[in-house]
Amino acid sequence: MKPTKTLALFLSLLLGSTPFCAAADEKDKLQFSGFTRLILGYLDDKNAEYVGYDNSISLDQQSLIGLQADYTFSEQLSFTGQFIGHSGEQRSSGLEWLYLTYTPTKEWRIKLGKQRIPFFNYSDSLDVGFAYPWLTLPQQFYDTAFFSTFEGILANYEYVADNWVLNFEGYWGIYDDKIYLASGEIDTQVTGLFGFNTSAAVNGWTFRAAYNQGNADLTLPGAAQFVEVLNQYGFSQSAETLNPDGLIRFYQVSANYENLDYFIRSEMATMVGESGPVPDIDSFYISAGYNFYPYTIYISYGERDVHYDHPANEIPYGISTELDVVAATYDSVLAGFPDDKTQGTKIGLRWDWRYNVAFKGEVTYVNADKVSNDFALKDLGNFDNSAVLYQLGVEWVF
Amino acid sequence: MARVLIILLAYCLGMVQSSNAAETIIVVANTADKSIQLNRQQVRNLFMGGALPYDLDAVALPPENHTRVLFNTKVVGLTESRIQSYWAQMRFTGRKKAPVEIKNEELVVEYLMTNVGATGYLPAGVAIPEELTVLYSSK
Repeated sequence: MKPTKTLALFLSLLLGSTPFCAAADEKDKLQFSGFTRLILGYLDDKNAEYVGYDNSISLDQQSLIGLQADYTFSEQLSFTGQFIGHSGEQRSSGLEWLYLTYTPTKEWRIKLGKQRIPFFNYSDSLDVGFAYPWLTLPQQFYDTAFFSTFEGILANYEYVADNWVLNFEGYWGIYDDKIYLASGEIDTQVTGLFGFNTSAAVNGWTFRAAYNQGNADLTLPGAAQFVEVLNQYGFSQSAETLNPDGLIRFYQVSANYENLDYFIRSEMATMVGESGPVPDIDSFYISAGYNFYPYTIYISYGERDVHYDHPANEIPYGISTELDVVAATYDSVLAGFPDDKTQGTKIGLRWDWRYNVAFKGEVTYVNADKVSNDFALKDLGNFDNSAVLYQLGVEWVF
Repeated sequence: MARVLIILLAYCLGMVQSSNAAETIIVVANTADKSIQLNRQQVRNLFMGGALPYDLDAVALPPENHTRVLFNTKVVGLTESRIQSYWAQMRFTGRKKAPVEIKNEELVVEYLMTNVGATGYLPAGVAIPEELTVLYSSK
């Protein structure tokens, strides 16, 4: 039985066994909230796409709406469901969160169900643009985690020691859905998915470190067939290189500082893919901002370096026509996994017009050493490797 | 002339003192343990949803309230917009809930009186009933 079904069954049992309270109590127990963002973007280059934007004004790449329902059964137990409707093609709309929260004490929180994976600082709040200063999160960093949700259990413990707030979090579960690359979508199952992170906050500083891993099983029918052919010929090393199944590990560290006047935020991560078709990725960003309420001005710089293993072709050319075809096919498949290296620099302004409405304007200069077309930046042909994205947006929470 | 100057100086000093009192924020709780004292960082943690070793529940004033603005500036050390964005992140990731909001200072005192563990911030000039305990003062 899938965890979502288990959760639904558990919930229906729980609801069925809970006596109905007075209407006023029900109103307090059931709460609705939401968020929406309307983002306008234009890329100044007709030979490229960046975050889905091209050389025309577009409103339908990052605009979205999120609706959340919280039902409180008791002080310890509550249920949350969150639906996200995306306008962009690279994200599917639907239930992003569906979980029960058990809070036995103020220090402990346990969540069971479908949740966002807390890879990085903003991984679980990517869609809530109101929660961060930038209009678009630093893409060189946040375009690296291919799967964003899991079905399973998450436990969080917070400990306060003198002036320090220490937080420890761990989760375990599975991911069984599609991953969305700029070049297409792939059916993926990630099992043995777990991770833990810890953060420490004191005097305006927040430090965080995280480790996550999972066994990814990518459905690439063409690659799987060719792996069989290579094994039949005895080229096991080459077959292993193209085997799409393997462990993926994520490491992250972060340091942030903020006070009334300014902030500095930074994150650095490494992703290690053990199988050939999954790359290794090194990425980071650093951002600084100045507050002059109700305005915040910020700058940000980020880099991403995506690199695959490129083993020498062990299949000899010139022995037979049949082997030549196998060798050439192997080379062409490997060529389908190009490296990617980009840098993004942005400057922007956030204006908090009301306590729950913010307007943002942002200009991002993106520069590429290598473009694979698998990430946010796409070469449409004759791209000169640099472009500027202009964006305006409004963020609203309700 | 010297008299006039002295009176003027005394008046100015009085103004400064009363203005300081008005700008001072106190944190008050309905708690049986009258010995609890918090430092600024602990108060910040409490009002940002952190778990303190005491059984205290924070209550807040609305965003446009002047006492809240002073509390944000002098105690939390963050702008209102940053606090709102923090709570948006906490709410939509199921991590923490923002403090209950109470309309004005008078109602905060009433709420504290009727809810054990409730903790709120007030301007220093407000009369505090004996049953309540001052845990922190920003002066």
